[in-house]
Amino acid sequence: MVPFEMGDCEPALVNHEMEHHIVAAAQHLVMALRASTNLDIDGVRSFLSNVEAHLSAKSTPSESRGWLLKEIEEQLRQHEIAIMSWETNQSLIWDSSSEEASEYLKAAVEVQKLVGTLGSVSPIRNAKQKELLLRAQGILEIAMSRLAEELRHILVRYKEYYEPEYMSFRSFAEDVVYDESFFSIEDEAAELTSRAEDGGSGTGTGTSNAPAEHLVSLIHPNMVPALKLIAQAMFSSKYDQEFCQAYVSNRREALDEYLLILKMEQLTIEDTLRMGWDKMSGEIKKWAWAMRIIIRVYLASEKRLCDEVLGEFGSVNLITFVDITKASTLLFLNFGEAITMSPHQPEKLFRVLDMYEVLAELLSYIDALYSEYAGASVRIEFHDLLARLGDYARATFAEFRNRIALDRSQKPFGGGGIHPLTKYAMNYIKVLSAYRAPLNLLLRDQEVKHPEPCLGIDSEEECSSDSSCALAAHVRSLVSVLELNLVEKSKLFKDSSLQHVFLMNNIHYMVQKIKDSDLRLYFGDEWIRKHIGKYQQHATSYLRATWSSALSLLKDGGNHALSFCKPTVRERCKSFCLAFEEVYKCQTGWIIRDPQLRLDVQIATSQKVIHAYRTFLGVCSGSIGEKHIKYTVDDIENYILDLFEGTTKSLPHPWKK
Amino acid sequence: MPATTEYQGSSFLGRISIRRNQVVSMDGHHEQELEDLDLFQRNIADRFSELLSARPPTDGGDGGGDSSSSAASADAPFLSVAWLRKLLDVFLCCEAEFKAFLIMGRERDPSVIAKPPLDRLLPELLDRAVKALDVCNAVMHGVDAVRHCQKLSEIAVAALEQQPIGEGQARRAKKALGSMLALLAAEDKDSSGHKSTERTWSFGRRGGSAVTNKDRSAAAQFRTLTWGVSKNWSASKQIQAMSANLVVPRGAEASGLALPVYIMGAITVFVMSALVAAIPCQERSGLAMHLQVPKQFGWAQPMTALAEKIGEEWKRKEKRGMAGLMEELQRMERLGQALAEFADPFQYPAEGERAEEAAARAAELAETCRRMEEGLVPLQMQIREVFHRIVRSRSEVLDVLDQAGKLSAPTL
Repeated sequence: MVPFEMGDCEPALVNHEMEHHIVAAAQHLVMALRASTNLDIDGVRSFLSNVEAHLSAKSTPSESRGWLLKEIEEQLRQHEIAIMSWETNQSLIWDSSSEEASEYLKAAVEVQKLVGTLGSVSPIRNAKQKELLLRAQGILEIAMSRLAEELRHILVRYKEYYEPEYMSFRSFAEDVVYDESFFSIEDEAAELTSRAEDGGSGTGTGTSNAPAEHLVSLIHPNMVPALKLIAQAMFSSKYDQEFCQAYVSNRREALDEYLLILKMEQLTIEDTLRMGWDKMSGEIKKWAWAMRIIIRVYLASEKRLCDEVLGEFGSVNLITFVDITKASTLLFLNFGEAITMSPHQPEKLFRVLDMYEVLAELLSYIDALYSEYAGASVRIEFHDLLARLGDYARATFAEFRNRIALDRSQKPFGGGGIHPLTKYAMNYIKVLSAYRAPLNLLLRDQEVKHPEPCLGIDSEEECSSDSSCALAAHVRSLVSVLELNLVEKSKLFKDSSLQHVFLMNNIHYMVQKIKDSDLRLYFGDEWIRKHIGKYQQHATSYLRATWSSALSLLKDGGNHALSFCKPTVRERCKSFCLAFEEVYKCQTGWIIRDPQLRLDVQIATSQKVIHAYRTFLGVCSGSIGEKHIKYTVDDIENYILDLFEGTTKSLPHPWKK
Repeated sequence: MPATTEYQGSSFLGRISIRRNQVVSMDGHHEQELEDLDLFQRNIADRFSELLSARPPTDGGDGGGDSSSSAASADAPFLSVAWLRKLLDVFLCCEAEFKAFLIMGRERDPSVIAKPPLDRLLPELLDRAVKALDVCNAVMHGVDAVRHCQKLSEIAVAALEQQPIGEGQARRAKKALGSMLALLAAEDKDSSGHKSTERTWSFGRRGGSAVTNKDRSAAAQFRTLTWGVSKNWSASKQIQAMSANLVVPRGAEASGLALPVYIMGAITVFVMSALVAAIPCQERSGLAMHLQVPKQFGWAQPMTALAEKIGEEWKRKEKRGMAGLMEELQRMERLGQALAEFADPFQYPAEGERAEEAAARAAELAETCRRMEEGLVPLQMQIREVFHRIVRSRSEVLDVLDQAGKLSAPTL
């Protein structure tokens, strides 16, 4: 009985050997019939008729292969029923149950095997075989078409987006602060250093804490095995192109949608170049933010999905990944390209350094994502973009230097206060130190014009490593350029006293900025000491320039006999007061913004002037006469406190007493 | 492919650099300038003549010297992928020579850059360069779309190559071709301003569940993102804007650098409009291919002839509705339609003659796909190369302008 129960037999295994078995069994049966005498005739007869029925059902043609085709046809019919039953069903297989899905896949795979078996014998002479082959192909086509449909459905229905709370963009939109401030120079440095306070590296966002490997599921994890099974079925049936086509299209759309969720706009180069700085700055922040998410999280996850679904089919997974993502990477590349094409304005430096840092950080991820030949063009483009961003940053840095060196004013700066250029330059330089890492890298091989040696580098290791870095050398040079320009600017003042006040103010400001920040490490204590000495020297020079002539009136002119002569002494006192009034009128309009510095200068002035005046009055008050002394020592002392307040005042003209 | 560029570029550049090293004495300046200008124009004329001669699949011919040795350029019918690559090569060569000219001219007289008419012409040139970059990006996407059509055609080819062809494979082929043709029609519709509602690249035989449909039409709206340009951008308007201020220098302006600047402008406009015509691209309605170049220039004749030829094709395209003039694309469209018809009322068995005809068409489609497979990715890379070259040149010209600015205004 055994040979006739072949329903489950794999058609592929059916061969002549089996036919031999069957024939041998039949011969054996005939021999047994001859040999035996007492048989249960009825039993044997019914058995044989059963065999006959089987035979007639299976094989009408005389050819030995015929009944096997019959067998195949039967199998095909069953699979066809399984496959066609879904054609009238509007619901989707993978929405139903996993059993049904695996039933369907099994049927599809079986049909594919039948196609293989039927097609393996060529040329096909047998009309029946040909007919069956075409029929099997037809069923396979229906199944594959269905699988492609299911695939698309799964890709759409089980698509997942992750909402990165820790990467909310709102924080970006609000903190567009410090870049614009360079135009309105009066801004406070606090804003400028917001980045430094954010922790130095990174673009001042929480994203730097993101784990190195941050993968999310882009398709519900439960459905990934289904995708893989569909891929297997379609690839083994040579429907790989259909699979990839559907897969790539859908994943591409998903990526496009995600970019829209990230509010990444498609901008033309022309649009980008026309953008105002405010908008551009915002777009750059968005770019840097989105780049991180897209490269580190989204694309990394996309790659993993490709690997999971297509990993077993050779390099297809990489090619598919590149096909899905290439167009979107151009979005990022072109924006970067456009930025590097824009004019080198110093205010852009920090934003561009943000871009540079983000890209430098992401480059290793990009290399890993776009490995091998398939990813080469994307990989190379990003490397090139990084180089261009670096060039741009260098050029912008040089432009900043030019701006400091070439800033020329026609008029002296009112009141001798801190020049906007000084504020601008120092605040800018202070922010530079927050971008120390990328700048050191970019400026490493840049020649420093007018190098300014770092003074007083002690043996302390930390100090020397900071002060010897490329940035330090450039920053020192920048400050010396600034100083030179300020000296030029001071020459616009006709009054040499005001020249000294101006330089004192500005150098003091520079020293304060450096002393109170990380910049001091770049300059060293000796530089600071030397420059404190410089502004103090200007203070001393101021005292001399302003007060020497006035005070000389109070000193005895060498001629003792004459000096005590009443009218002369009175005249001298009057002249001094006039001189003082003149100074008062003029220098109350001058400015020393720093209260401590102002007080220091006032005290030094007091010491010098009061001392001389008191001595003078002490010796001469008798000769002058009380009513001719216009100002008491206390008056003078009080009036000196009005100096450098920045509001011009006059002493009350009618004689006070 | 850059080999060609380097080769052609270097011969001209070589001459220039040799001359630069010679002591330029007396007043040979003007004469030399004329000679260089003549050479520059002759090179352009030669290159465009060669492009013009490309109509029937020639076997290289006189182009042996400067066309690369790859098989693609030996057989580069008009507007084929290989021809487009040659066109881009020509652009790169002309561009390199133009830049040499510009820099040389500046060395003769540095202040000339900051004086009229160049103080106006160069900024215009830079503006045109930026516009060309956006065309490159738009066209990059277009090549993507063409590749997509190629993939669909390959499915059809794979199905039709089966022996014997049954209903199943016929259906498979028909579906792929249907999607391909629909995609091309959609590209074309888009390019004439009517946004199709279903511009998705997926193809399906049924609507699927409601969710699928809704999601997909939403996705179709998002699709604009990968166009490479912003939503309201129009290729034809861009070309128009690029040629708007392109005016032949006359009178005293015609000497010096004004003429090469004009010539380069004309080349850029021509090359970009040819790309836009050949490759699917956003919003191309009313694309003007007529180039107003005075006949007196030697290079004007082949360039105008090319523009006219492309213009004629374009008119036909607008009438018949095609996605682009690219030779392979048109062939694919034509073959696709014929094969889709063949596959449509497919009755088994197909009669001998029809089957043979279909097999021949399938083979031709296979060959077209093969040529696309060979050429499209390099074409895309070359478009990108052109992009990068334009970026670089622009920044070089900016530097020149910057220096000239400093010269003319030494102290601020």
